[in-house]
Amino acid sequence: MKKVFRNLTVVVAAAGILIAASPVWAEYPERTIKMMIPFSAGGGTDVPGRFFAAEVEKILGKNIIVSNVTGAGGTIGATQLSKAKPDGYNLGFMPVGTTTTQPHIRKTSYNADSFEPICMVAQGPLYVVVLKDSPIKSIDEIIAKAKKGTVVTAGPPPGSLPHIAQAAVANAYGVKFKYVPHQGINQVAKSMLGGRVDVTVWFGDAAQRFGLRPLALLDSKRSREFPNVPTLAELGKPVESFVWFGFFAPRGTSSAIVSKLSNACDAAVKKPSFVANMKKAKRLIRYMPHKEFKAFFRRQFEQNGNLLRAVGLIK
Amino acid sequence: MTLEVFAAIIAGTIFGTFIGALPGMGSVVALVVALPFTFSMSVNAAIALVLCIYCSSVFGGSISAILINTPGTPQSAATVFDGYPMTQQGKADLALGWATVSSVVGGLFSLIILMLAAPQLAAFGVRFGQVETFALILFALTCIAWVSRGSTLKGLIAGAIGLFLATIGPDTMTGLSRFHFGIAELSGGFSLISVLVGFFAMSEVFSRAAIREEGQTEHLLSGVGFRVAPWPEWRTRLRTLIQSSVIGTFIGVLPGTGATVATFVSYAEAKRASRRRDQYGKGEPEGVIASEAANNAVTGGALVPTLALGIPGDGATAVIMGALLIHGLVPGVQLFRNQPELIMGAFIILFFANILMFFAGLLGSQVFTRLLRLPEAILMAMVLLMSLVGAFAVRGNPADVVAAIIAGVVGVLLRFNGVPMAPIVIGMALGKTFEESFRQGMMMNDGSFLAFFTHPIALGIFVLTILVVGWPIVSRRFRGARHEE
Repeated sequence: MKKVFRNLTVVVAAAGILIAASPVWAEYPERTIKMMIPFSAGGGTDVPGRFFAAEVEKILGKNIIVSNVTGAGGTIGATQLSKAKPDGYNLGFMPVGTTTTQPHIRKTSYNADSFEPICMVAQGPLYVVVLKDSPIKSIDEIIAKAKKGTVVTAGPPPGSLPHIAQAAVANAYGVKFKYVPHQGINQVAKSMLGGRVDVTVWFGDAAQRFGLRPLALLDSKRSREFPNVPTLAELGKPVESFVWFGFFAPRGTSSAIVSKLSNACDAAVKKPSFVANMKKAKRLIRYMPHKEFKAFFRRQFEQNGNLLRAVGLIK
Repeated sequence: MTLEVFAAIIAGTIFGTFIGALPGMGSVVALVVALPFTFSMSVNAAIALVLCIYCSSVFGGSISAILINTPGTPQSAATVFDGYPMTQQGKADLALGWATVSSVVGGLFSLIILMLAAPQLAAFGVRFGQVETFALILFALTCIAWVSRGSTLKGLIAGAIGLFLATIGPDTMTGLSRFHFGIAELSGGFSLISVLVGFFAMSEVFSRAAIREEGQTEHLLSGVGFRVAPWPEWRTRLRTLIQSSVIGTFIGVLPGTGATVATFVSYAEAKRASRRRDQYGKGEPEGVIASEAANNAVTGGALVPTLALGIPGDGATAVIMGALLIHGLVPGVQLFRNQPELIMGAFIILFFANILMFFAGLLGSQVFTRLLRLPEAILMAMVLLMSLVGAFAVRGNPADVVAAIIAGVVGVLLRFNGVPMAPIVIGMALGKTFEESFRQGMMMNDGSFLAFFTHPIALGIFVLTILVVGWPIVSRRFRGARHEE
């Protein structure tokens, strides 16, 4: 009996040593990796996220399981990720709002220091759009209408990027729009097509999906999709607003793993299959490597905090 | 039609029916599970897979609603009212027959409407604004009174609890979370599925465990498989079948209203109009027809705005749209105009899906009715496990599992006190849209509630609502007065 017990002790001890020692000689990654997307499957963040995961999976040679942890502007998923073990097996694909505006608006337990930004993968600029057969033909006409009476705009709940963008446009011209919050773009599109909303700010797909007409682009240069649509800067008001999507790990993930992931990201965004998929889905790739993205992320976090304060959403 | 597409249709229909039948695993979960498989398929096969899963999962929800008093999907919540009493009477096979045929008829009806008039209906759908939506939901809420037989007061209290639960979490109008008492996990609100699973499935399991002690669990055993009632029985209920198909299709066309609203409106209207009104809730097949024809009619209806306008009608169609986006197809005005062959293909697929659903129902009921013969403890353990997985799978939030368990315990207490479960679910399913449409409507009408009555469609629905609520009171007075004479 005693012998059995002793043998058991040896086995347990050996197993303990093995487990403790394994990271030293095991090459990351050695098992399935989890990638959290804080919005629902098939949505705006999910589609590029899944394309990206498929490439990284091939490069790292281990399965990546995509999980959609949804709710509260993506903050539930982001909170989960910020608390996850920083071992390189818990990663996330998150957009600008969840990571840089929501922490200011809600009292989230995470902030800019909770994540290790790995790279930026995609982005999409916002357009000012109206109904195809709307009598409004230009930005000037919107402003003129706002000065005379009311311009009804709509978009996702206050604090969302389109909400901030329309407030920034109105601010730049010294007018005010009447903003009616909706759950998301689908509800907004319904209200617009039904003639209850005059103008909204949304991505380029608004034209293809809902037949809306872009009047101006909130970016530094014109887009390839709509070469005839001027930027607001050309019209004299340099308002820029675009959504971006980044690849994140929880803070504390070792630099060896981060650099491995950053290399994988670098390779993934250049893969022809990724480029083709993104093109098919009408999405723009925007790659920013680890170092640059890390600095950019911090800047965005602070800028968006200031912007939210300027439009009066936080005190 | 290639072999791949055909295989996708069969696989999708069977998979959808079975996933739909599992408590807590609704259409959205079924679609999300299948989504990665569509990446490597051809465009047509991918469309076939998602469309078939969508239609059949809505039908599948009725199976568990009828057999174990637990709607597999929120859309089947109203099927429980009459479906489960039929099972208790040993008529489960008949109930499944009513449900299957009603689902197929509802689905085919809405498909015909989709083929004939999608662009025109879509144009009407978007004109149905916040004020009209508010009126419609108000009407759907009258369903609470219909389903809380015995004690209307307890039913209303339950409905209010449901409405309150819907207010917890994100508030669209301010962008903030409310009533979450600083608990981060609650800031996203309760998911309807987890609450549904808790109040129906878990509380069913818990209360059966409690009653078992007293040794009175037996109920009549039904035949295996499904049985379609003879034609004369159908003929007298044809009106309900058609009416529910129309209601389902119509509400499906309105983006963001959803199948759950459709089933409750359909149930409320069927009961109001029926000669068999008193039999509702005691196992009247009409109740099953009203719910199942309507929720499957929503499928074709909800695809109208999805395909013609790029506006998904509900959570499930949003995932379908995502699957199409991944294949480079952007549903919406341009797709509908420029690629009619693709849309035509989708119609043909839907036709097959609805026909195959009948056979999937045949197969599914063979399997699931046999489950009823399992020892109760094993069956209940399976239900418990599936419910917990389902509660988690919707949003990947562990808090939803806790919420489901708590709802289960509360559900048992409410059951033993004679409080009906259904109004809680109705309140919760309708609460968010109810509140949002009201607040958005108020904003758009410059804060005037009176302006709501200037919208003609809304006014019509308001009048109907008053009639529905007022009629029992008036008729009781009338009958009471006659008695005294």
